[in-house]
Amino acid sequence: MLVDTYETLKAQIGRRSFMKMAAVATAASVTSAFANDGVTRAATEEEIKNPFPGSTKVKTICTACSVGCGIIAEVQNGVWVRQEVAQDHPISLGGHCCKGADMIDMVRSEVRLKHPMVKEAGQWKRLSWDDALDRIANKLKDSHEKAGPDSAMFLGSAKMSSEQAYYFRKFAAMYGTNNIDHQARI
Amino acid sequence: MANTWGYGAMTNSLGDIQNSKAIIIFGANPAVNHPVGFQHFLKAKERNNAKIIVIDPVFTKTAAKADHYCRIRPGTDIPFMYGMLHLIFKNNWQDDKFINDRVYGMEDIMEEAKKWNPKKVEDVTGVPADQLIQITKLYAQSNPGTLIWAMGLTQHTVGSSNTRLAPILQLSLGNMGVEGGGTNILRGHDNVQGATDMCCLSHTLPGYYGLSSGSWKYFAKSWGVDYNWLATKRFKNEEWMGKKGFTLSRWWAGVLDGKDGNDQIHNAGTNLKNLFVMGNGITSIAQQAKVKEGLDNLDMIVLCDPFVNEAAILTDKQDDVFILPAATQFETSGTVVATNRSAQWRTKVVEPMYESKTDHDIMFELAKRLGFYDEYTAGMKIKENKKDFTWPEDASDEIARIIKTIGLTGWTAKRLKKHTENWHMFDQISGRGYGEMKGEYYGLPWPVWTETHGGSPLLYNINRSVKDGGMGFRNRFGLEHDGQDLLSGKGSAPKDSANKDGYPEITAKNIEKVLGIKLTADEKKRIGKNWKVDTSNIIAEKCMERGMAPYGNAKARAKVWTFPDQIPMHREPLHSPRQDLVKKYPSYQDKSNHYRVDTKYISKQNEQDWSKDFPINLVTGRLVNMNGAGMENRASKYLAALSPEMFCSIHPDLAGKHGIRDGSMMWIHSPEGTKIKVKANYSHSVSEDRIFIPFHFAGHFQGEDLSHKYPKGTKPYAVGESANTVTNYGYDIITQIPETKGGLCRIEYA
Repeated sequence: MLVDTYETLKAQIGRRSFMKMAAVATAASVTSAFANDGVTRAATEEEIKNPFPGSTKVKTICTACSVGCGIIAEVQNGVWVRQEVAQDHPISLGGHCCKGADMIDMVRSEVRLKHPMVKEAGQWKRLSWDDALDRIANKLKDSHEKAGPDSAMFLGSAKMSSEQAYYFRKFAAMYGTNNIDHQARI
Repeated sequence: MANTWGYGAMTNSLGDIQNSKAIIIFGANPAVNHPVGFQHFLKAKERNNAKIIVIDPVFTKTAAKADHYCRIRPGTDIPFMYGMLHLIFKNNWQDDKFINDRVYGMEDIMEEAKKWNPKKVEDVTGVPADQLIQITKLYAQSNPGTLIWAMGLTQHTVGSSNTRLAPILQLSLGNMGVEGGGTNILRGHDNVQGATDMCCLSHTLPGYYGLSSGSWKYFAKSWGVDYNWLATKRFKNEEWMGKKGFTLSRWWAGVLDGKDGNDQIHNAGTNLKNLFVMGNGITSIAQQAKVKEGLDNLDMIVLCDPFVNEAAILTDKQDDVFILPAATQFETSGTVVATNRSAQWRTKVVEPMYESKTDHDIMFELAKRLGFYDEYTAGMKIKENKKDFTWPEDASDEIARIIKTIGLTGWTAKRLKKHTENWHMFDQISGRGYGEMKGEYYGLPWPVWTETHGGSPLLYNINRSVKDGGMGFRNRFGLEHDGQDLLSGKGSAPKDSANKDGYPEITAKNIEKVLGIKLTADEKKRIGKNWKVDTSNIIAEKCMERGMAPYGNAKARAKVWTFPDQIPMHREPLHSPRQDLVKKYPSYQDKSNHYRVDTKYISKQNEQDWSKDFPINLVTGRLVNMNGAGMENRASKYLAALSPEMFCSIHPDLAGKHGIRDGSMMWIHSPEGTKIKVKANYSHSVSEDRIFIPFHFAGHFQGEDLSHKYPKGTKPYAVGESANTVTNYGYDIITQIPETKGGLCRIEYA
């Protein structure tokens, strides 16, 4: 597992640094002797036109507001590498606001929460999903028995898909309470 | 709105605004909040020379594009609209035929409107009488006109009256059910419409079915579970199954349980002990100090979000605060419903990053551990009697199978995907499809009555046949009231209707008579009790054949006889700068057990002369680079750089009186005894009697920087005071939406 990951990473980094070097070489080729030292070379026309070979383009929808603008997301090796506006989308008509244009950076943000954590005695501690879910479920179960299902409050989201929102509502129902709400009541 | 004509949703669409000749934007700021949608407004200006009228306490970026801007005092929208109605009726600008055929109770509105002459409106709202006359004339004579609003209308104690009077204004001019008209509410988040339709709400089941035992039985059956199991093993008992729960705005009161002078609760003999939050920035709900108190007193807090939910930072709770990395919506697939009720299929871009899990996976895992996973997922397998399910397609199809009330029958995963894949095949104004997509509207705006129906882009339009998206108003409030017929008038049925007049909602009992058909014995066996629970869809299919809407054809109502104010009445905000008007237009009586918590109105309003100590109006709103609690935007370097600090827009003259310089720090104090420390930003967008603050920040609390409380590597690029630390007490009388758009404050140099 570890070796595989290493090999994959090495292969990807190899390709990426090559691309970078190729790009630098193109920019510098007029004045620099670097261009012909055998280590780098000028990027080909094809590479400039298509910097992410083998990538796929996914038609999807912005998550910022309720306008529902189209987004063309370019994905290479499982990485979202580039975002384009959707020129032919009937509502956004090729437009993007700054929030929409930032979707790719939001997903790839370095400050994302990367693993489950719990606060214990005032300190944040990392824990596994299984541990976290077990502990949460035990508490919920315990309260259901002792205090009753109405001891829980579920706050869902206008940022979920409809399917998830529906299943969130169903979750509260099957837990046994109507203490459930979301941002529509702001 | 739902109480006026059946559905509480945007009636037309963004593209359709291009057909408008006049646009009123009331308490909304689309240039900032929906920038790409706003281009359709600007196109209306180009195409039709449409006039844009902005009514807002703050001169917004939208106002900068307007032909007329009215600087209204917060919380006085009702007098303003009655002022318009006063002039409309006085000058006979109303559409008599429309009112006569399609509206019930307009006489009462006419009576009330008589009281609101332009001078009086000027006194109450601050909008000059001449300006009111000018824009009313312009609007009334530029048909069709559309009315846009957002939270500027809803976030008041009288919010639910505001959202009734705006439709009434449109009804009076016959602006409903026409291209370029309508009441176009702009939703905030990307899927507010979808999540609301699915009813992540404490007062109703998905599809707005309510909480009656009949509805629960329909859902239990449709979910493939035993009703008694739900009622006795899961819920405390049947009684509590039928009661509305706590809301997003007041759940904290459920934790505090009436202690230390907090409002009393009515929650099945317990207080709230566990809070489970998924994708909800609760640092942007009113009264943050109370939110914090609520958080501090819980047994367990679970926060699932792609970023650290700042509730975890706000609370001083030391144990059992779980933060779980949820995947973003680009790391899963599913339906998203735009503000105009149209659906798009959001396709997964990448796999969940780091250790993050999708929202549904987290719920499934918990359901397994809580012992109801099989019951939970049974609904996805019913349609084709499957052994296992595929997410999300089988969930989409489950919803389509069950939700009849808003006509989601046609929203199968297959059709929605096809629409999004072919988005280039639709017209930007009408939404009509070309070529292969002909006969369908983009995103199949609901109601989509059958699996072949093309959607309804324009609600209540009787100039189209039902098959093509036409319909009258919904028959939702009975057949008569005070001896008057509530069904629509003669000849007012949608185009191509077999029945030319008003007709009731369709049931198994009345279908043969109302539609003038005969059912076969087999159909009689399979048909559901009424159109809302007819999973055989026979009612809808037969209705399509006869050109009739399953929900009937009735009148809209200007008066709601079950509300404390049958017609919308002006009531001053709980914290009003005009004490003289408080006596004349007092708030409601206090309301006991309002979503399980006692809620103060008149007693809060009369507690003291708030305006004496807190003379300045406080208005909150959005910035172009952020939305909601700003959690995900502040986690972006680039967006955070556009507004790296929390600030307050303040008029230089007001600032000068308090010795506050441009760029210096200032305190804002609320009547609740809370305060925030923010940077002053001189601005003429606000007048001297009010200030504006954005609500996207968190991470500071009452002057204290809480940065040290973020787990390592998760602190967003910008933190600051939450505006909602100083928003005032006050909740809508029907919906419990907080009164964040009309509070008071006091300021000082910091």
